[in-house]
Amino acid sequence: MASPPFLLLRLELRRLSDAFLHPRAAAWIGILLPVALAVGALWAAGESVRPDLSTGDGVILLGLLVSGPVSIQSYPILFRPADDAFLRRLGIHPDALFGLRALRLLVLALLIAAAVTVPYLATGQTVGRPLAIALAGGVATWAVSLWAQANAAASTVAGHGPSMAGRSLGGWDPELAAAGALVFAPIWPLVAGAAAARFVGDAVWTMPLRLLPVLVLSLALLPMGARAFARALPRFAPHAGELAYAPPPDASGGELVVGRGIAGVLPRRAQAARARDAVVIGRRYRWAQRLAWPVAIVGGLAMVRAGGNPAVRAWVSLACGAMLAAQAAAVVALGRSERGRARWTDRVLGLALADRLVGRWAAAFGLALAVALPLAAGWWIGVEGGRGWTWLAAAAATSLVAAGTSLAAAGR
Amino acid sequence: MPAMMADGALPLAVRGLRKKYRRGVVLADVGLEVRPGEAVALVGPNGAGKSTFIGCVTADRLPDAGEVRICGADPFRDAAGAAACLGYVPEQPYLYPELSVAELLRFVAAARGLDAAASAAETGRLLALLGLAGAEGTLCRELSQGMGRKTAIAAALLHQPRMIVLDEALNGLDRTSAERLIAELDARRAAGAAVLISSHDLEFLARWCTRALHLPTPGTWRVLEGDAWEAWQRAPSLAAQG
Repeated sequence: MASPPFLLLRLELRRLSDAFLHPRAAAWIGILLPVALAVGALWAAGESVRPDLSTGDGVILLGLLVSGPVSIQSYPILFRPADDAFLRRLGIHPDALFGLRALRLLVLALLIAAAVTVPYLATGQTVGRPLAIALAGGVATWAVSLWAQANAAASTVAGHGPSMAGRSLGGWDPELAAAGALVFAPIWPLVAGAAAARFVGDAVWTMPLRLLPVLVLSLALLPMGARAFARALPRFAPHAGELAYAPPPDASGGELVVGRGIAGVLPRRAQAARARDAVVIGRRYRWAQRLAWPVAIVGGLAMVRAGGNPAVRAWVSLACGAMLAAQAAAVVALGRSERGRARWTDRVLGLALADRLVGRWAAAFGLALAVALPLAAGWWIGVEGGRGWTWLAAAAATSLVAAGTSLAAAGR
Repeated sequence: MPAMMADGALPLAVRGLRKKYRRGVVLADVGLEVRPGEAVALVGPNGAGKSTFIGCVTADRLPDAGEVRICGADPFRDAAGAAACLGYVPEQPYLYPELSVAELLRFVAAARGLDAAASAAETGRLLALLGLAGAEGTLCRELSQGMGRKTAIAAALLHQPRMIVLDEALNGLDRTSAERLIAELDARRAAGAAVLISSHDLEFLARWCTRALHLPTPGTWRVLEGDAWEAWQRAPSLAAQG
């Protein structure tokens, strides 16, 4: 009889092998296109997105570049897999579930650590030092994320009421205050990742030796994380499903208008798809619009005033890049929400895939322009010989990837 | 034979179950005991709390207060104990899209620690019973809604659970398969298993079940048994409206 961890691992491998055993164009496009674009963008951006490792700030920035996505992704990987309820109902021990999910997060951390070395490779730098720093940041973030998220989940359902930090989120929303521990949980891994990167990055010659204690401490945290996870899971897993519930959006904010403005140049059916998608994204993921303006205004002004400073360019690029990525995530989430549900509407209306793709791309691009236009203008004014149009191109490309991934996520 | 349960423990015991959402209380101190061999209907209009009640029983929803015991095990503390006793078919079952029907059921049997040879024989029997013989190699993502539901039913019954919870499980099943499933559930009940079933086919529930938990509006409930159940059975559609 196979042990539960082995069974889950075999299941994981079997699921991963599906892309090879039953290859489907949509699945491969969904995997390869974002990877190719991300690696291509990192390669092309090269010098401008490569933290300078000769300074402590640069080392910390590299650590943060790895620890950011890992710490943010740790919650959905740990507590929101699609098969979570199914596996719990089979009586699989939480330790086995924790093991598999920890492995998934580790793979993500290693992939991101590898990805951030691409600009160094592209500019002919040695990859050893950035890779070691990124690995230290990634591994530390991985372990601390697992521990912090599991403890936050356990404290959320422990019945002690919201913590001081939780109450700071606003007494007017008791549910948000009760989930305060989860909101603050990603901070610890972020700090740990940056600290580990700095610790390893400080020493040029003894770096491999400094990686060892990071690895040992990280592995030592795992049993504590596993214990907290096992304590939290039975009560937190159903609670996590309820936390993910989004109340139905109200009908305010942005009316559905077909063919308005520049969208009028699109084919008629694509115009309809664009109008529908823009309204749904605007209502369901309102944050994607609301957050964009402050980021764009601050970024644009910073470029106009201090665009000549490489550090300012790096921070503005990072913030605006993250905003574009977040907006792309909203577009992909729209596709996921359509899976098995709203998709049939397009089918019975006779909307072709091309119409849906163009419409969704136009809606996503419209959303991204709120960030890209002010930034492009600021870049053009503030940077000597600045090529602001590259931000418009980046927004168009990101929107295209997001729209394609969104439609792939919506399924047949 | 059905899975073992703690001595004297009921297949399902719910006491003082309370659940509140932002819009108000949905379950107000609900209590229900399901005895071996019983089939209990869960009836009420949309939004009255049927799915929330089932969710609290199957540990998919976290109750605000109250106690749930499945064969004596608390699903929120002893998840493995409750899982060994519970067979649940959700309204929208999760099936791994990348696995074939046979692979999925093999995984379920292995995860539950069932004997490989015995579970293979039981899998074959259940698939034949539900009209899925020959579909073993079909990927779950290629199954129709009805076939997917049948696969979920086979997965839920494979370990001979003492407590079977069916949430709209008969939806999408062809008549022959539904009749065979009912016969199978009758056999399980005769062997000591209990069934909690939610369905909008009120005439079927009136005919087949022995009692009901009625949730007429959010926050209200009553157990229909004895005369009240007989009165409900006579005109289930009218009773549901009333």
